[in-house]
Formats: sequence, structure tokens, C-alpha cells
Amino acid sequence: MSLRVKQRRGIEFFDALLMEVCSPFLKSSTFVLKTVHGVFQEYVFLVHLQKENTLLKQKIIDLQKENHQLKEEALGGERLQKLMQFREKVAASVIAAEVIGQDPSSWFKSLTINKGETDGVRKGMAVISPEGVIGQILRTGPRHSIVLLITDYNSAVDSIVQRTRAKAIVEGKGENRCQLKYLLRAEEVAVGDIVVTSGLGGNFPKGLVVGEVRKVEKTGQGVFQYAELVPSADLSKLEEVLVIAESPPPPPEEKPKKTKRASGIQKRK
Amino acid sequence: MKQIAPPLFLGILFLTLQTTLLASSPLYRIRPDLVLILTLYLSLSYPMVSGGILVFFLGSLLDLFSGNSFGLFTFSRPLIFMIARLLKERFYVEGFLPQFLFVLSLTLVEGLLILILLNGLNPRPVGRLYPLWVFVFLPQSLITGLVTPFLFSFFKQRLPLLSPQGTKGSAGS
Repeated sequence: MSLRVKQRRGIEFFDALLMEVCSPFLKSSTFVLKTVHGVFQEYVFLVHLQKENTLLKQKIIDLQKENHQLKEEALGGERLQKLMQFREKVAASVIAAEVIGQDPSSWFKSLTINKGETDGVRKGMAVISPEGVIGQILRTGPRHSIVLLITDYNSAVDSIVQRTRAKAIVEGKGENRCQLKYLLRAEEVAVGDIVVTSGLGGNFPKGLVVGEVRKVEKTGQGVFQYAELVPSADLSKLEEVLVIAESPPPPPEEKPKKTKRASGIQKRK
Repeated sequence: MKQIAPPLFLGILFLTLQTTLLASSPLYRIRPDLVLILTLYLSLSYPMVSGGILVFFLGSLLDLFSGNSFGLFTFSRPLIFMIARLLKERFYVEGFLPQFLFVLSLTLVEGLLILILLNGLNPRPVGRLYPLWVFVFLPQSLITGLVTPFLFSFFKQRLPLLSPQGTKGSAGS
């Protein structure tokens, strides 16, 4: 071991000397190589950078487009899911339709939907959405129909105030507002009250949300009070709606049971 | 047929634009009435009979797609067409301002006419529509008037088919 160490010590001097002599050359050659490499890396090899950049930008645009399309599809899916869930809740036969146009004038409030007589849509049928009542069918074509919105001045829906059960007729006011007509002055109606369909008109099933009371006025004399409501559904942003083809029939066993009970009571008496 | 087909096609295109693209924009309340602009252009450039038939048809199309059950536009549009034809001989309809004023005044006249007809024909009073005239119809008429000179020059320069032979170049001159 000691002999080897001694030999090693002798070599160390030459090693160090060689290293001292060579290292500046190595250092300078490394610097030159690095510089040349850098020049190629940063300038010569970047000749196609602009082309690559354009390609990447195009790729980003394509991906963004795809992303928007996917988002739109996802939102559409969500809306349809909501509509389907609502369809299951409504115990009536309904026809799903897509909104394809709005009223061409500002005097009237209507929508065009992509379902018509061939799909079973008839004049007077109620049109609803998961948010609430939309209107009723005004005119039908073979494949398209015109829906008169509840905000149109010609529209009238028999309704009740959910909290107090006060009866009134919801009439359109032209803009995104409706008016509660024939609401008795004696009835207690407050701002924020929900108005629902009464089911008496025949077209709309009972209990569908029409809107929320925003203004109540009892000024002046008279039998009735003035109340204004905002439709629960945003009628300017509708994309899909449901047309109620048939109102739910009354439960078949309800009437005979009542008569049986009544007859039973009579018998007991 | 050559006289009727191009404006009819353009009218249907404008109607589609009014019910879809313009109706879904954030400023849908003040969208310009493109069909009315076309009607007034026809009153300036088309003969009485073919222009009248076209305007009548466009009016009935408007009625068909709107929530109006009285056929108001079928009546009002030909009437406006006739009034415009009477006025075109008496007024100078060349340049931005005269065209703007011409269309603005006739749009307002039509609005008043519709309001009067609605009140007359409806069994219930429609007094709640009067504020609409100020807040919606007046701004919409202004926008329609502002758009008119551009559309008139577009019809004149780009759509020579809209100026039938014999009356060519009479619009706005």
C-alpha cells in the first residue's frame, strides 16, 4: 500500500502540470464551442421560428374554437337535461321545441318555434320552460308555430298569488313586464310574491310559476288594486321550450272513492 | 317575374335578419326596420302595381311572423307605400339628411297608424302601449332613419336589379 502511495505522489506532480497547461486550452475551446453552439441555437436554427409561430398561433385559434364549441355543446346539454328533468316533473304530454325566431316588430311579443301541426302542436296550447310560463300558441303551420308571449298586450293568463291565493289575470304590458288585472283591493299582495297559474283557463296546468310581483299600488278609488310582475323566465334569452299538448287528466280513482266515502257516510248516518 | 323576384328575395332575407340576428343582439329593442326601408325604396323606384303587390306580400309576411292577429302590416305597409309615392314628387329625396328625414317621418306615421288601429280594433283599451311609442318606437325609428341612406346607396349601386327598367335611377333622385 505504502509503495503505491509513493508512486502516486510522483505522478501527481506531472498530472497537475499537465492540467495547468491544458486547462486554458480546454477553457477557451469550451467557450468557443459554446459560443458557436449558441449562435446556431439562437440565430441560425431560428430561421423557421416565424413559420412555427404562425403554425402555433393557428393551432391555438383552432383549439380555442374547439373549446368554444365544446363549451357551447356542454351548455346546450345542460339546458336539455334541465328541460328533460322538468318534462318528467310535468305530468302532461309535452312537445320539446327550439326557438328559431322572434317577433320582427317591436309592437308585439312573439316567438317562432320549430314544431307545428305535424308534430301535434295546436292553436291555444300552453308553452312553458323550466323557469316558468312562456305563452301560448297563436298560429300554427305544418312545421312551425308562433308563440304569443305572456308579455304581449294581447296575452291573458288566469293566475293566483301563491301566498295569499288571490285570483287575478296576468296581462302583458308590452315590454318585459306584466300586469295583474282584476286583483281585488282587499287582497294582501306584497312585492316579491310569486304568481302561479290557476289552471282555470284550461290551457295551463295549475301551479306553474308565472312571475314575481315587483310593484303594488293601491292609490285612488276603486275595487281593484294595481300590481306589476316580472316573468320568471327571461323571455329574451329563450332557446328551447316545451309545448303542453295535453293537460294531465284527473286521477281516475278519485271520484268513485269520494262517492263511496260519501255513500258510506250517508249509510252510517 | 324578373321585377318581383329580387326585391321579394331581399325582403324575405331582411325579415329573417330582423327575426333572428338583429332580434338576438343586445340592442334588439332598437333594431332597424329593414323591411320598411325596402318598402320605401320600392315606393321610390318601383311602379305602382308591381311595387304595391310586393309591399302587400311583405306586409302579410310580417303579420304572419309577428304576434299580431289583425293583419295590421298587410294594411299599413301598402298605405305607407302609397303615401311615400305621393310624397316623392313633392320632396327632394337625395343625400343623407333628406333620406333620413323621409324614412324617419314615415316610420313615425306608421307607428301612429298602428297605435290608432290597435286602439280601434282591440276590444280592450291598449293605453299601456303609449309609453312603448316613446321608449322603444322613437329610438327604433331614429335608427331606421340613420341606416336608410347607407341601404339606399347599397341598393342603388350594388343591386341594379332593384331598379326595374324605365324607372332605373329614379330612387333618391
